[in-house]
Amino acid sequence: MSIQYKTINELSQMLKSRDISNKELIQETFNLIDANLHLNAFITLNKDASLLKAEELDKNLSLQPLSGIPIAQKDLFCTKDLRTTCGSNMLSNFIPPYSATVIENLENAGCVSVGKTNMDEFAMGSSNETSFYGNVQNPWGDKLVPGGSSGGSAAAVAAGIVPAASGTDTGGSIRQPASLCGISGLKPTYGRISRWGMIAFASSLDQAGPMARTAEDCALLLNQMCSHDLKDTTSLDETIPDFTENLDKPIKGLKIGLVKEFDLSQLDKEVVKVFEESKKQYETLGAEFIEISLPNISLSVPTYYVVAPAECSSNLSRFDGVKFGKRCDDPKDLEELYIKTRSEGFGDEVKRRILIGSYVLSAGFYDAYYKKAQQVRRLIKNDFDDAFKKVDVIMSPTTRGAAFEEGSKGDDPIQMYLEDLFTIPANLAGLPALSIPNGMVDGKPIGLQLIGNFLEENKLLRAAHNFQLSTDWHKKTPKGDIQS
Amino acid sequence: MSWETVIGLEIHVQLSTDSKLFSGGSTSFGAEPNTHVDLIDLGLPGVLPVANRGAFYKAIRFGLATNAEINLTSTFDRKNYFYPDLPKGYQITQMALPVIGKGSIKIEVDGEEKVINITRAHLEEDAGKSIHDLFEGETGVDLNRAGTPLLEIVSEPEISNAKEAVAYFKAIRQIVTFLDICDGNMAQGSMRCDVNVSLKKTGDDKLGTRAEIKNINSFKFIEKAINYEIGRQARILESGESVVQETRLYDSVKNETRSMRSKEEANDYRYFPCPDLLPVVISDDELNEIKNNLPELPNEKEKRYIEESNLDISEAKIIASSKTMANMFEEACAKTDDSKLIANWLVGDISALLNKDNIDLEESKLTSNNFAVLIERISDKTISGKIAKSVLEEIWESGGSVDEIIESKGLVQIQDESLIEEIALKIINGNPSQVEAYKDGKDKLFGFFVGQVMKETQGKANPQSVNEILKKLLS
Amino acid sequence: MDKKTVSTIAYLSRLSLDEENGEKITKDLENIIKFVNQLEDANTQNIEPLASPLEKTAKTREDKVTAQNRKDIFLERSPKSNDDYFLVPRVVE
Repeated sequence: MSIQYKTINELSQMLKSRDISNKELIQETFNLIDANLHLNAFITLNKDASLLKAEELDKNLSLQPLSGIPIAQKDLFCTKDLRTTCGSNMLSNFIPPYSATVIENLENAGCVSVGKTNMDEFAMGSSNETSFYGNVQNPWGDKLVPGGSSGGSAAAVAAGIVPAASGTDTGGSIRQPASLCGISGLKPTYGRISRWGMIAFASSLDQAGPMARTAEDCALLLNQMCSHDLKDTTSLDETIPDFTENLDKPIKGLKIGLVKEFDLSQLDKEVVKVFEESKKQYETLGAEFIEISLPNISLSVPTYYVVAPAECSSNLSRFDGVKFGKRCDDPKDLEELYIKTRSEGFGDEVKRRILIGSYVLSAGFYDAYYKKAQQVRRLIKNDFDDAFKKVDVIMSPTTRGAAFEEGSKGDDPIQMYLEDLFTIPANLAGLPALSIPNGMVDGKPIGLQLIGNFLEENKLLRAAHNFQLSTDWHKKTPKGDIQS
Repeated sequence: MSWETVIGLEIHVQLSTDSKLFSGGSTSFGAEPNTHVDLIDLGLPGVLPVANRGAFYKAIRFGLATNAEINLTSTFDRKNYFYPDLPKGYQITQMALPVIGKGSIKIEVDGEEKVINITRAHLEEDAGKSIHDLFEGETGVDLNRAGTPLLEIVSEPEISNAKEAVAYFKAIRQIVTFLDICDGNMAQGSMRCDVNVSLKKTGDDKLGTRAEIKNINSFKFIEKAINYEIGRQARILESGESVVQETRLYDSVKNETRSMRSKEEANDYRYFPCPDLLPVVISDDELNEIKNNLPELPNEKEKRYIEESNLDISEAKIIASSKTMANMFEEACAKTDDSKLIANWLVGDISALLNKDNIDLEESKLTSNNFAVLIERISDKTISGKIAKSVLEEIWESGGSVDEIIESKGLVQIQDESLIEEIALKIINGNPSQVEAYKDGKDKLFGFFVGQVMKETQGKANPQSVNEILKKLLS
Repeated sequence: MDKKTVSTIAYLSRLSLDEENGEKITKDLENIIKFVNQLEDANTQNIEPLASPLEKTAKTREDKVTAQNRKDIFLERSPKSNDDYFLVPRVVE
């Protein structure tokens, strides 16, 4: 029985009814991985440990909620004694002595971590082209990028290899690849999921989240990923609800905000058409649309490209060739050890961002750039606070278009930065946001973004699940529609 | 031309918490290299700091004791630079909003009191240690110390000479040891300081260019480094040149400071708020709790010793000025209700021994328990004062227990008056001519008889009894 | 953003840029800085900077030792060490 493209719920049912054993499921997952090596979705596989865990699960019946479910982990999460590269040459030999909290949470819930997925180096990129381990191919077409930075995770789910993957989202790194690969992905409220063990890119923006075929599966995963972690003092001690509760409940009367300042006329007509159709779908479901204004939203991308590089320039200073990771060959003195190690260990995009970060924090520029960006960040957050007085969720396209070809963004980094135009604001404000497939453009999937108010993942997931109950976009695969 | 010296001190005080500022790593001194290193101290990818509330409590004690502003909300920033013993490539410190604001402390130099204002005191993490001279061509890095909480106390540039600087440092050391927030151990580096020195024309308002001498860890070197630096800068200014603002290192072997310009090259620490740490807030209840449990400070002790223990001002001052001596005094008082006797010993014999050896009480072999027992044995007349002195000297030299020394050397005082009388009679009978002379009015001879009795008893006779008995027998 | 500025921040970041690379990156940085200069347009008078989306206060921990000795694993997995220390080329002070 094929397991490809199955959802978490479907696989759990198969395991429970003994249609398949845990070991068969994991073995079959590795067969799918082997059959899809051309995607380059994984950097490191965890085959032996996975099969061992599956055998254990076969021996001892487990009642864990995600028992036996294969999951692909973004290679940004530290996994104890399993290589963790963060997509970088710098960590090509790094074996963490501990695991991230979210990894522990998922594994304690019964998940089997089958491997570590490819990603943009240190999560800096929107196409997976900055990975030291090579591009990831989008399952929807040759030479198409999967988006980034969680490109390997998105591709693995889109190709039906695994029903679930972990991702991280600093400026859209879950939602943008979810959109480009035709899957569902959620960036929770900042602080919902512990950052302990997540290799930091920009600490005040980074947030882990689930990537799966459906919003319902995202809810199942989120239930296990969240925890109040004393090791991360920015992890929230709010009650963690059951995110799967009331997903089916109709959304009649849901107030959906449309952002006046998002100028959709600049987008491809097909993209706009898809968006308009989704609006109609939501109207059919009983939602009402309200235009809202986020006056400072146009400054999101420039704000992000000050805040994120500043934090990253400092976060990445620990990669110096002294305590872990790579060291250059035969440094003649300490300066050379630092400079050569870092120059060889980091790729160009990472270097660019470190340099911008050092620049905006340096004496004489701090106020003009870093402080200014933090002030604008507050303005943007205030805009959202006002908006959420009027609406339940805010809707927009996730991306400006569908998956693009490798190398097509040319040499200009700003063109790539603008990829995250719609996704960045939620990170700046710390708000939950998700992307679900809502149409096809030129035979390629594209996503719809919903942004929710602080801690209101439930509303987002319900709105998304209702959409998926009444549409089939999430059932499309590169090999045709899934028949239910 | 005459020059005025302007000095400011940045004192780094290692707080005596059990665990580090941001991790559960131990802060204890002297462990095997790299054994007290937590995942967080190593700065591994993905780790996050969690602030130690105990460090805040200790910092606040200092603030209260120096009448400083206490910032109940304080924040952390990152100071970015590369060095092998700085594992994350940045130090977490409090730049924008330190836990302790403006305060002040009194110092005394040559009998003159002066108030030195304190600009701020902030929490930050210590770096590890780089060992440069142990391995051929390589530096070893030990991260045991990395992350140990430091309170950096920054003075206003109000110190006018090396003596004042030393007095200020000593005053800070006294306060932090009394507050029990630092062990004050200079040799182990529990207190280090950076000294900013500049010269300006006498009477000028404008400060001159300063040089910062880094990382000095003894009173003597503070004084020497400052005096060297004053001379160096004066020579530069006299010759019409200008002082370069830079970091300098004091070389105690050559007794000179030298430029560390290479290290300073293009230094820009790029401070910014640490995104991993939200503001730490201490509640009013916590503050009150700290206030109510603030350890007694030297001036309070002094007052209490005068009022409750009937000490002279000068005695009280000496005893209260050292935490160890004050502890010794209080422990002895708890055992023996004779504060005058106790004070006499501390201010007299013990202070003399300290002066002779030029050491601090905590460096001596005498423990407070030993001292309390010694006093008890004098008070219960087991030994005489004279014997006590020899016991003290023995302990001073080689340590040991008071009772064991008394026992093993048979120093127990003879209390049996009939025995003393027997010996006294023997002396009187054996010296008829002296008896006659004494009775003729040569009073001074009384001392001769006392001496003879003491000699006969090897000093163990209770002197008071000897006096009384001799007086009776000779009358 | 001239070459000198770039070389200063490159040194602060302990990165070296080769000739070809250096020019491209300098140009990129210039463009990025131009791009973020849009921020000047925002009126941020009296606006408190926002450092974290969580406007909350920190949770802290009690002063307790919880760490275990992991010296061996740390040193073993480091680029260069001996039995006791991480090693780097000799630093001259």
